[in-house]
Amino acid sequence: MKSLSEIAQKAKSLSRKVKIAVAMAEDANTIGAICRAAAEGFVFPILIGNKARIVELLSTQNLSMDKYEIIDLPDMTAATRESVRMVKAGEADVLMKGLVGTDKFLREVLSKERGLLPPKAVMSYTCALELPKYHKLLLVSDTAVLPAPDLDQKIAMLKYSVNMAHTLGIDCPKVALISATEKVSPGMPNTLDYALICKMAERGQIKGCTVDGPLDVFLACDPAAGDIKGVQSPIGGNADILIFPNLETANAFYKGLMLFAEGELAGLIQGTSKPVVVMSRSESENSKYYCIALSCLMAEER
Amino acid sequence: MEIRKLDQMFDVLGTRAKKRLVAAWAIDAHTIMAVSEAVKMGIIEGILVGDEQKIKAVCREHGIDAGTIRIVHCDNDIAAAAMAVDLINKGEGDFLMKGLLSTDRYMRAILNKEKGLMDPGAILSHVTVAEPNNYHKLLIFGDVAIIPLPDLAQKVAITNYLIKTAHFLGIDNPKVGLLAASEQTLPKIPSCADAAIISKMAQRGQIKGATIEGPLGMDLIIDKESAQIKGMNSAVCGDADCILFPNIEAGNTFYKTIVKLLKSELCAVVMGARVPCVLTSRGDSERSKLYSIALAAMLAFKS
Repeated sequence: MKSLSEIAQKAKSLSRKVKIAVAMAEDANTIGAICRAAAEGFVFPILIGNKARIVELLSTQNLSMDKYEIIDLPDMTAATRESVRMVKAGEADVLMKGLVGTDKFLREVLSKERGLLPPKAVMSYTCALELPKYHKLLLVSDTAVLPAPDLDQKIAMLKYSVNMAHTLGIDCPKVALISATEKVSPGMPNTLDYALICKMAERGQIKGCTVDGPLDVFLACDPAAGDIKGVQSPIGGNADILIFPNLETANAFYKGLMLFAEGELAGLIQGTSKPVVVMSRSESENSKYYCIALSCLMAEER
Repeated sequence: MEIRKLDQMFDVLGTRAKKRLVAAWAIDAHTIMAVSEAVKMGIIEGILVGDEQKIKAVCREHGIDAGTIRIVHCDNDIAAAAMAVDLINKGEGDFLMKGLLSTDRYMRAILNKEKGLMDPGAILSHVTVAEPNNYHKLLIFGDVAIIPLPDLAQKVAITNYLIKTAHFLGIDNPKVGLLAASEQTLPKIPSCADAAIISKMAQRGQIKGATIEGPLGMDLIIDKESAQIKGMNSAVCGDADCILFPNIEAGNTFYKTIVKLLKSELCAVVMGARVPCVLTSRGDSERSKLYSIALAAMLAFKS
């Protein structure tokens, strides 16, 4: 798949509807995006929260009553817990955040007894960017969860992103480990982690992808840069995945592209036993819709 | 020409302008005989720094013609070490050799901040060149004697010394194996982690003039069959010219195994100072001392 619309196309072709439990489905943004997916027939929303509020929001949507379910739980904690419980129990395939604080929502997802994170799993975030100036999707991690990933967390980010690429039909994604330069130097500790990751891939300890780093974004995404800089890399300026050294860099990278380069995105929490959709209010409705479509593909993959 | 046997160094040196060896506190028969032998072979010029009376007595006793060697008089070992270093700094000698003084005093003269032989920030390290009798080429390795537990920067420096030594021996693109406990990249084992980092630095051209691979176990470095069994197809495997050891215990044990168990010849030099420094020990064979002098003389040429 080379674009977000292809992800949506693929979601529409799935053999069954994906059940999405929405915690506190009480904001117009979330309802708008999920109703579009439901109307197109690939999602069955289970809307949890204050029923009166939900019904009021749905009145603007023209979605027939057999295409969704409402569970009336006005209390925020109760609604969030119930949505997590349904997904954990297999009564729903995907968990989605509505009008509840991200902190509170993730606390339930991370709960040892009730949550969706397997023991010792690393929680992270990968998003797929569609950019008018790049010829294919660009997967980026971690834009939202891990502030300063250590080596193990970087490896987890990489594996999650590679898995997502495989789901999107990219068989052997090219993974660029992003830094300010291609040089390895103790003064930039992330570059040391990158050298280890490369060697692990070389030794077959990381599979299913081609990895190189440190590389800067030019070497990762511009085929001309390698010749200019005299750097030989199997990525060849044609990366499918960018692993960033920290949250600030990744977050600024994607937001910059959203703002100045008219990008669209679809992102998901990684590491959970079932897909979890967390979107910020500032994201466009299109992006939210693509997030939902992507979560359907990832749910189907499991 | 590429040196494949240690005694080929003698042939090469015989065709070149002679480098001047300065031996510090060279008052013992071992040192004087090694120097005079090298001078007689026509591979170096010799300068002995030490007590002139004693030196001449040793020469008489062993039938050495003292006229072929310059003697610079000094009363004691510390003064002799300082004088020897001073001769080098004044351009009267091209490389240094330790005589009968302790390694400690010898090194202190080299490392002296104002009057020594070190450039600021330089890393002193020990390089061995061995001729193991069941290996198909020379093996250049370090550090077996000076840096106990090299950090990453020191390992990079040592790697560069190994490569430089190979180049001076006519081995153009030496194959360097970075020794570790396993060929797997195990981040918690420092030898594995540093080897992976150095290997990537080499890929990025931060270390030049060699083919570098690691982490590798010793079996993969020196035995092609082991590499094939483990599916490792690096050009370094089974054909290494150089080995970087992760610590002094591993390197020193390997060194002594070559000498005592394989009964093979080797020689060594201290690198990182402005000139190569010979650091033989009394346990070394006559042949080995001669090889060490030849190795240092080879390295004393400008690259």
